[in-house]
Amino acid sequence: MWPDHSSSPAGDSDPAPLSRPSIAISGRHIAKRFGHVQALSDANVTVHAGEVVAIFGDNGAGKTTFLKTLLGMQRPDAGELIVAGKPVHLESIRDAQQLGVEAVHQDLALAPELSVVDNMFLGHEILRQGAYRVIGVLNRAEMTERADAALRELSIKLPSLAVPVRDLSGGQKQGVAVARAVMWGHTAILMDEPTAALGARQSEIVCELMRTIASRGLGVLVVSHDIPRVLKVADKVTILWRGGTALEAPASGLTVPDVVATMVGYRKEEAA
Amino acid sequence: MSRILPRVRNEPLPSAEQADPDLRTVPAKGIIQRLFSGTASWVFLIDIALIIVFATLSSQHSFLSLTNVQALLGGTEALLLSLGLALLLGAGIIDFSLGANLVVSSVTGGIAIQHITGSFSAQGSYHALGWAVFLGLAASIATGVLFGLVNGLAISYVGINPLIATLGTAGIGTGIALVITNGGDISGLPAQLQQDVGLKTVADIPLPAFVAILLAVVMFLIIRFTRFGMRSLAMGSSRAAAERSGINVRLHALRLTMLAGAFAGLAGFVDIARFGATTTSGHANDALNALTAVIIGGTLLEGGRVSIIGAIWGTALAVTLQEGLVVIGVQAFYQLIAVGVVLIVAVSVDRFRYRRRA
Repeated sequence: MWPDHSSSPAGDSDPAPLSRPSIAISGRHIAKRFGHVQALSDANVTVHAGEVVAIFGDNGAGKTTFLKTLLGMQRPDAGELIVAGKPVHLESIRDAQQLGVEAVHQDLALAPELSVVDNMFLGHEILRQGAYRVIGVLNRAEMTERADAALRELSIKLPSLAVPVRDLSGGQKQGVAVARAVMWGHTAILMDEPTAALGARQSEIVCELMRTIASRGLGVLVVSHDIPRVLKVADKVTILWRGGTALEAPASGLTVPDVVATMVGYRKEEAA
Repeated sequence: MSRILPRVRNEPLPSAEQADPDLRTVPAKGIIQRLFSGTASWVFLIDIALIIVFATLSSQHSFLSLTNVQALLGGTEALLLSLGLALLLGAGIIDFSLGANLVVSSVTGGIAIQHITGSFSAQGSYHALGWAVFLGLAASIATGVLFGLVNGLAISYVGINPLIATLGTAGIGTGIALVITNGGDISGLPAQLQQDVGLKTVADIPLPAFVAILLAVVMFLIIRFTRFGMRSLAMGSSRAAAERSGINVRLHALRLTMLAGAFAGLAGFVDIARFGATTTSGHANDALNALTAVIIGGTLLEGGRVSIIGAIWGTALAVTLQEGLVVIGVQAFYQLIAVGVVLIVAVSVDRFRYRRRA
């Protein structure tokens, strides 16, 4: 389960502590082409267990494509994927889920008419034992208990777990989506624009959540436009520019103007 | 920090938390409020009101004494179609072919019975009557399931919009039924089919109606308490969410269309047990009537929410109006207007409530 260092390229700018934690999820030299569009050319990111890594990039830089590739929703033309320290080939999002990689999609992928509990267990339902099991009767009592525990652990406050998700506020919905991902993910959590639809206070809560999840030993990868806020909670930053990684660096040494400059390609142009 | 979350349904918020913007939600409702927040309860009240009105207006309150078996059987068929459709709508699939399915299924059921019993003999006795009825039922249901399978394949695996796919299969199904019967009806089915099945009553209620009510209860339980029901609603609520949770949405849709087909097949059998013959030309509006009944009852056309109880009251509304207007001597055509008005009003009220919460 420990990273194969020989497979990771030189120039990896991670801070290298003495006992290096295992790689939760990593994409190396990922390339992906859609027709005439080279969406990704040489995209790199590495998230170790217990780390929050942010991917920044301008619109069209390939953030979503990269994330989808890491989730197995798209197969890369070239490059290597590593999950839980091992090179993997993902055929579908189901493969990623089986390796403990879960995602919080930008649209949250919640069923608005279903209750909080049902949403959290959708696809992972707990059934009652015995004859009930044969006809697929849900064990809502246990589901509720476990959903409650999962939400409480992340300090996500909800008025009731029986209300339909559509009756929740934006921040609460986000909380449910995050808690669901954490509940089923045991390697890495990928988040696509988790703060895009949220107010300032709720965004802060979600950013705190990222730290909470990382402290539980999972890798957190977040794609965001909310640079100031995410920069504060991230350990490392990967900046994409025109489908390739322009910068991989610890977040502590970066300022918002640095990030923006790299995002829009000034650094590349200066170097050229 | 890690406050114990309320798990009890609709537990009110602690007042200290009420100012927290993260805890905004709909206020908790009492049981009475909850009971009448659903459309189904209002439709039920309208049903009751109509029954009282018709009972009062009909001479010597004949509306009540006239528990018209034929009317109840018509209602039974409509209810069976509504049950299947309600589940489909819950999963976001619309079906316009249920009436056609009923007709084809009644034809195959009738043919099966005829084949086994042989033609009518002068003595009025039939060969293997029990088997004939049983296999006729099986043939009807199997045809219904097959019809549903075709719908499901067209919708899920070919990817045709459900509206278009079922409009197409409705035409095909009706056409096939008429080709088989050569444009007429299969008649002269054993009288016992009517006596012992269709018109058989227990406490003035026909046997098929009991079966339909039983099935309605089963459907209610399935939707409320099982994984199958939950996944169906999840699919209707957000197909993308269902897909990303790893549910095989296509296969699930196929199962649902087959189940709705089975209900239509059963309705087809009830039809031949009711008349002792097929009625190929009498079901042109069944699919739309079922849709009306289900929607009046509070099931969302867009999916994600099903009310089986509402579907029952919605169906009862149409039947009560139809029969009631006849009994008080008003032309039954007014029933169409009345049901239309109730449909529009019910959905408007529902829309208003839905939007206000959103």
